[in-house]
Amino acid sequence: MKTTVPASPTDQLEVDQDIISRVLAGNRDAFSVLINRYSDPLYRHALGMTGSPDVAEDILQMSFIKAYQHLAEVRGRFDAWVFRIVANGCKDWLKNIRRTHLSYDEDDQPSGYSTPDEELDRTELRSDLDRALMTLAPSLREAFVMKHVEGRSYEEMADLLGTTVGALKMRVHRAREALQALLEEKYA
Amino acid sequence: MLDNLNARDGSGDAGRERPRRASELAQPLSDKEVPIGGTATSEMINSWLDGDAPEPVAVNAESARQVDLWRRIDEESQRRRHLVTPAHVKAQIMAALPADLPQMALPWWKKSIHVSPVVALAAAAGLVALGAAIGNSMRIR
Repeated sequence: MKTTVPASPTDQLEVDQDIISRVLAGNRDAFSVLINRYSDPLYRHALGMTGSPDVAEDILQMSFIKAYQHLAEVRGRFDAWVFRIVANGCKDWLKNIRRTHLSYDEDDQPSGYSTPDEELDRTELRSDLDRALMTLAPSLREAFVMKHVEGRSYEEMADLLGTTVGALKMRVHRAREALQALLEEKYA
Repeated sequence: MLDNLNARDGSGDAGRERPRRASELAQPLSDKEVPIGGTATSEMINSWLDGDAPEPVAVNAESARQVDLWRRIDEESQRRRHLVTPAHVKAQIMAALPADLPQMALPWWKKSIHVSPVVALAAAAGLVALGAAIGNSMRIR
């Protein structure tokens, strides 16, 4: 249950600021460096929050366009700033949507599982986990996705969400309790 | 030598054992062990999932199932952690960026103002009228 260690924030800040300066000076293509650098964790966040690859792609696209338009307003870390844009985009979408069921459509994802039975079992858990995640309150889902799917530390989460480590631990623990209650009848 | 009247290790009354109730004898051994959580996610499982403690040793069937469930959820989470943005999305974002460069955020007093001739004439007329009104009011006094 290890979490990923982010690169030094100071180095990252300097490099990102350099790229932002290049974009603002007229090098539009330099923005692709920021997209390549940050799109994967942001895509995973949007996918975890919405449960839909199509919606995640749309939110990611809208967020990067918004980030581009307001690039001159970035103060501090670009990754934290763009994360907030994506997180707010996900919350807005959740407020506006009513859904009965959505699951990952990952037919194009390569499978690493050995037998058809294992694959079937895991596919079932995958969709059940998605359904269970969708029943959680957005703040609990956000905390669970950031901790488990994105592999962030509590300190990093607190930094990005502007809250305390204690509050986030509480949210993650409550999310786990709720998920366990929903899944244990079938799987435990 | 004093007798140990409060001995709890059994040494004070060797050979004597509290008689077991019939209900205790009927229970299987696992029911007497301390479970790690019941239906709620226990402290031990949370500590393990948070990376603060090793995987808990399950002491009964229920806790073993809980640990197994979280092991499977964690495997699924790990798999999702390696998902990447579909390649076409990055190209789409770049293609959808506005043609105009992002504007520098200037304070309002540094921003340029575009005034059409009509607006300039109207503003001038307004100022003349305001000056006349002030002049009249001073003459009355």
